[in-house]
Amino acid sequence: MIPALTTPHTVAVLLDEELISLNRAVGVLRRRNLPFESISVGPTDAPRVSRLTVMLCSDDATVERMVRQLEKTSGVRQAVQFRESDGIAREIALVKVRVRQERYAEFLDTVALFGASVVDEGEEEMIVEVVGAGAFVTALIRALEPFGVLETARSGAIALLRSTAAVAAAEPR
Amino acid sequence: MTETLTGAQLLCRLLREQGVDVLFGYPGGAIMPFYHALPEFPELRHVLVRHEQAAAHAADGYARASGRPGVCVATSGPGATNLVTGLATAHMDSSPVVAITGQVSRAMIGRDAFQETDIIGITLPITKHSVMVQDISEMAIRVREAFHIATEGRPGPVLIDVPKDVQNQKLEWADRRTGGPAGRDSARQSPACPPARLPDQLAAAARLIAEAERPLLMIGRGVILAGAYAEVRLLAEKTGLPVVTTLLGISAFPESHQLHLGMPGMHGEVHVNRAIQHADLIVGIGLRFDDRVTGNLAGFAPRAKIIHLDLDPSEIGKNVPVAVGLVGDAREVTAQLTAAVAPRSCETWWEEIRGFVSRREEAFRGALSPEAILAGIREVTGGRCTIVSDVGQHQMWVAKLYPYDQPNSHITSGGLGTMGFAVPAAMGVHFARPHQPVWAISGDGGFQMNMQEIATMVQEGVPVKMAIFNNGYLGMVRQWQQFFHGRRYSATPIWSPDYVRLAEAYGVPGYRVESARQVEEAVARANRESGPALVEFVIEQEANVFPMIPPGGSLSEPIEAAPAPAEVAGA
Repeated sequence: MIPALTTPHTVAVLLDEELISLNRAVGVLRRRNLPFESISVGPTDAPRVSRLTVMLCSDDATVERMVRQLEKTSGVRQAVQFRESDGIAREIALVKVRVRQERYAEFLDTVALFGASVVDEGEEEMIVEVVGAGAFVTALIRALEPFGVLETARSGAIALLRSTAAVAAAEPR
Repeated sequence: MTETLTGAQLLCRLLREQGVDVLFGYPGGAIMPFYHALPEFPELRHVLVRHEQAAAHAADGYARASGRPGVCVATSGPGATNLVTGLATAHMDSSPVVAITGQVSRAMIGRDAFQETDIIGITLPITKHSVMVQDISEMAIRVREAFHIATEGRPGPVLIDVPKDVQNQKLEWADRRTGGPAGRDSARQSPACPPARLPDQLAAAARLIAEAERPLLMIGRGVILAGAYAEVRLLAEKTGLPVVTTLLGISAFPESHQLHLGMPGMHGEVHVNRAIQHADLIVGIGLRFDDRVTGNLAGFAPRAKIIHLDLDPSEIGKNVPVAVGLVGDAREVTAQLTAAVAPRSCETWWEEIRGFVSRREEAFRGALSPEAILAGIREVTGGRCTIVSDVGQHQMWVAKLYPYDQPNSHITSGGLGTMGFAVPAAMGVHFARPHQPVWAISGDGGFQMNMQEIATMVQEGVPVKMAIFNNGYLGMVRQWQQFFHGRRYSATPIWSPDYVRLAEAYGVPGYRVESARQVEEAVARANRESGPALVEFVIEQEANVFPMIPPGGSLSEPIEAAPAPAEVAGA
């Protein structure tokens, strides 16, 4: 059999704001051993509703099956999937860097180049905050490595499907 | 008007409100307040089982036979964990079981208290829904929601965990139906195939049925769950499609009907599987194309387009690629499909299928064959009984050799394949159909897994007839060892007690049958008993189930005879 084409997908799930609903929803991934890249959960504008965002690389059919399983999972209100390219995905990262005095200016240049900001400044340890698509965040972390990255915290991506008009405008066909 | 109720009393009220009339359960520390309240509700008949697993199977049997939720009750810890196999069985076969478990008091949760287990965590993957009632104020909504979830859409088991102190909490109860589940789960139902598209898909399906030269109708348990017997029959009769019934679809279509073909899959008859392999269209209704049905998926029905009708959108395309998916209730959508199809017949195709039939000499040796036993039960009961089978070789014989004509008269654990299911499930079937004989047919292995329930039947007056196919082996495993493991009968010979004396010890009539001549008399005597009765059938030790598709094999490669000893010696 020809292996199915895998592409980056976003699965967005609206679920009841209860640990058990989250447990069930994530259980759908676990049972199928789906290789996720990130999972993030947060509140929404509706009371007692959480939004779970899963980024994963898989073929369309597998992701579609997963969404149907999610749709019938107790506590899940809505589940949708879209190719990463059809949505806007962002994550936030905090990077703790040790910067020696003599490289401080160079460090600030790098941070500025990525539109990132220094949110905590200690004697020699700085915390940099960056927001962007996953690859962009990874690129900044790579760029900071020569200075000495001590610790990294990444939120995992959140994403929204572009409006159809926006999709059409961005990808004229 | 309000009155003060404890959590336990409220729970009993809510069970009555949901129409519950029988509970299968076992008391213990954390569920004592519930059992304290229970005698105040004589309309709630409690059946004291001998093991909580049997309570879950009995609730499942009740649900399968009645179509209404079956309820089981257990205490926390070991009581709750003993339900697990029964819940998993119900989950795999889409059976609406509601399990109520006691839990340690809220203040003790998470502290490894005596008889504490995280039963919610344990059961999450094997229930549709598991929930803890955190406070008496949410008791009503949780219980109503549980029954709603168990029965809505594709049915399944639900577990309600109630801490002991919540059972003892008090509430001013005004009997108003507030806080029901409406708007919660019903709003969530978003079928993958919106109704607007259904007419297009029905038209596409009708076109495929009209164009096909070798179409087949394959039906499963979904037809029984939806009660779509008449609708499926009309569809078959309008089109002349041969009807294949899966293990759990048996008794969804009368077997005496000329359009009935048989059971497919691992132990399906050769001509049924050959029909599948030659078919150019399969219309599947309420089945999930399980691996025991399809064999190796790569070789399954290679020429066939598939129309799949299922209530559960996640089933469409799960195992087999589907040309047309129809999401909805089997009854409604089958009726719509029947209206959309043009009348046709399949004479040439039937002719071809008749050519597939090859007489296989049933290779039973000895004085008593499974065929003779099942013919005897059919003869004595006139087919007006429910057959509940266990798991193993006898399950296949019971599926294939007994002619089911009554809707939903065959009950078995198909998906999970739970040995020990038949005896307790049959108890549940009795409470759903108190005026009809119920025969629980087990092997000697499965029977010994739950034979303690004879005591339950005696104490509760449950007149289930127990038949044991005794071959002294765990026969199906032994058959696999014979075929695929060089006859190394590892851990499959199994000793049995003297079942007649065992029955006597319980005060139940017991009969041993060793030849075909004795079958009818023993079955008739057991069937006449007003209480439970047991019949042991001593069958050939190394009888096999034929044909057989080897595990992972294609439906085109059946085994029709045991390998010669020399063939397997070096295996």
